[in-house]
Amino acid sequence: MRKLGLVFMTIMLVAALAACGGKSSGSNSSSSKEIVFWNPFAGPDGQNMKKMVDEYNKTNPKYKIKNISLKEGDMYKKIQTVENSGKNVPDLMIVHAERIKLYHDNKMLTSFDKYLKDYPEIKAENYMQEAWKIGDLDGSRYSVPLDIHSSVMYYNKDLVEKYAPGALDDNIVTYDEIEAAGEKSQKDKITGLGITWMKPIFLSLYAQNGGKLTENGTDPTIHNDQAKAAFQKWIDLYKEHVTNKDGEDPLQLFLQGKLIFYPEGIWMNNNLKDAKFDYGLTNAPQLSNDKSKMVNWSSSHQFVMFNSKERTDEKAKGVLAFVDWVRDHSLEWAKAGQNPASLKILDEPEYQKMAQSFLLKDPVEQASLKIFDYKYNGYVSEELDAKSLDIVFGKNPVDKALADIQKSLEDKISKDNTNK
Amino acid sequence: MEAPVKVIEKKATFKRSKKRTVNWTPWVFVTPHLVIFSLFFLVPILYGIYISFTSWDLVGKPDFVGLANYKEILWQKDSSFYTQFHNGLKNTFIFVLLSVPSCIIIPLLLASALNAKPRFHKLFQSIFYMPTLFSISAVVIIWTLMFNVNQGPINNLLGKSILWTGSQPYAWATLVIVTVWWGIGGNMIIYQAALNGIPKDYYEAADVDGANAIQKFFKITLPSIRGQILYTVVITTIAQFNVYGQPLMLTAGGPTDSTRVLLMDIQQNAFGSGQSIAGIASAMAFILGLCIMVVSLIQFLFLRNRD
Repeated sequence: MRKLGLVFMTIMLVAALAACGGKSSGSNSSSSKEIVFWNPFAGPDGQNMKKMVDEYNKTNPKYKIKNISLKEGDMYKKIQTVENSGKNVPDLMIVHAERIKLYHDNKMLTSFDKYLKDYPEIKAENYMQEAWKIGDLDGSRYSVPLDIHSSVMYYNKDLVEKYAPGALDDNIVTYDEIEAAGEKSQKDKITGLGITWMKPIFLSLYAQNGGKLTENGTDPTIHNDQAKAAFQKWIDLYKEHVTNKDGEDPLQLFLQGKLIFYPEGIWMNNNLKDAKFDYGLTNAPQLSNDKSKMVNWSSSHQFVMFNSKERTDEKAKGVLAFVDWVRDHSLEWAKAGQNPASLKILDEPEYQKMAQSFLLKDPVEQASLKIFDYKYNGYVSEELDAKSLDIVFGKNPVDKALADIQKSLEDKISKDNTNK
Repeated sequence: MEAPVKVIEKKATFKRSKKRTVNWTPWVFVTPHLVIFSLFFLVPILYGIYISFTSWDLVGKPDFVGLANYKEILWQKDSSFYTQFHNGLKNTFIFVLLSVPSCIIIPLLLASALNAKPRFHKLFQSIFYMPTLFSISAVVIIWTLMFNVNQGPINNLLGKSILWTGSQPYAWATLVIVTVWWGIGGNMIIYQAALNGIPKDYYEAADVDGANAIQKFFKITLPSIRGQILYTVVITTIAQFNVYGQPLMLTAGGPTDSTRVLLMDIQQNAFGSGQSIAGIASAMAFILGLCIMVVSLIQFLFLRNRD
């Protein structure tokens, strides 16, 4: 019995250790003829990306793409772990534009420079500028943009005609026009403006006021008059009952035809398609009618290569081949509601008809797209997401909240050893 | 001269070999758990404690900073991590104090009621148990609709327009209601099993002595299931200290951080959208762990001494 027990115990030990310590043969490991591609498209847009990858693989490339869509939060956690261990690092990855500076400063990214000469079409002229310039760090190229996605505003066409006729003639709806429309519509229990994701709304308005997240690239600047004025605008609109009430769901109000203006991202378009009325897409709310002063908050998904000893030069060229193919075939990505960063998309008649295309067709509109590529944008997002709604709904005085945000940002940034 | 020495040596070897004989049977049963426990529990905990003494962003090598992280979150009043930690810990304690009694008493009452075997008691048992099977996301979606200001059935029933998740004290009430509803089943099943084990003779004897239902509950039922109550109190307390999903998805920590619990700060500092601040997060996590241990120990001693 004892001997039997000993044997059993040994088997269990070996099995347990083998299960934990052995070389993973899971979905992340890469074979030599495959490019492992991580992306954060776990929602409906994941289907569009999968279609693109399948399409590419059908062209019989030297290296096929293995598409792995992960939840955004999980992906960003995981990349740090695999990068530390040096094992199972994906060959290609999509990350948000705002994170690239941080990864670059941590020396986690591989430059594209060495391989670009074989792909001459991957160049500034072929991409939307705001998205392209993100990857240019210290004179080297560390990323290539897939898209530029912006926070815009949806509007109910019938309600606009009734309460804000002419507001859309120039395709700019100003805060004054919204206020006037909301005051008129209140009597009919129609809400003027939806309070949605405040981070992009605030940042657009902050930039219109001339505010910057940082002056020197490191220290945050958010406790100032420009930020106060931006929030004050929304606090006033809320007090005047132009916006929806606290606790009301603006998406439901819009779908029920009880909301005139609904500021949201272009990626929401697919969720609104069931609306039983005509709706349109326009710029985010602006302070002035002057098109040259317009700001539309944007972000961008970018292709990057994290440092990996397992990625050979040949494979890296395979990565570039896929990135170059996407530049040429990004219509499928536009179908996900996004604006591809490759300007070649403008030649597609189908894209020209898509609602979100107004942001790219006109060079003035293109110039309004602004990516807030501050190195500590992640901290800014956390703070704004936690405090903005309380500020607008009057639960947290704007001056105190901004002082707290500023202090919290400074304390978090002081922990970053890469600055020292 | 040599012979006696040899005999002594022989005896000694015999003794030693006898001592060396180990009974392996218990190890067979313990080993698989021990291996998994060490790999996935002990090692990460020890590593976590080590990280709490460092400054680390999860990339590169951690810098040893001694007790600096603890000093900052515990005593450095001008640091926002101090504010975060104290607010988070306070809110976690409030949540534990509010939710644990209900998570014990309500399942106990339901189990007692079911134990009386009323009609359809099996059906009710299933209904009470079902929420436990749902994931927290599903639970939160259901209750977000229930508590909606305008379209929510709760406000419609009350004829009021209470902002349940966005104003106090309603935000706490919402969190407790959802938590109790979600967790009724687990404790209820334990109590039901315990109640089944109480001999019927006790109740018959009490009936003969003329005891009423309340007297029977407090004098027979409760003392008989003390062990199970101790177990559920400790386990429920630990579970509620680790609250995360409910405030994250229902109230988002609001209004004005009043339901922001410590785990939300720990998670955000370690794995947020920005650069990781793993040292501070680990220090916060370690102190939370200590709090849980101390509270569990007090409960354990308190409930056991009364035995």
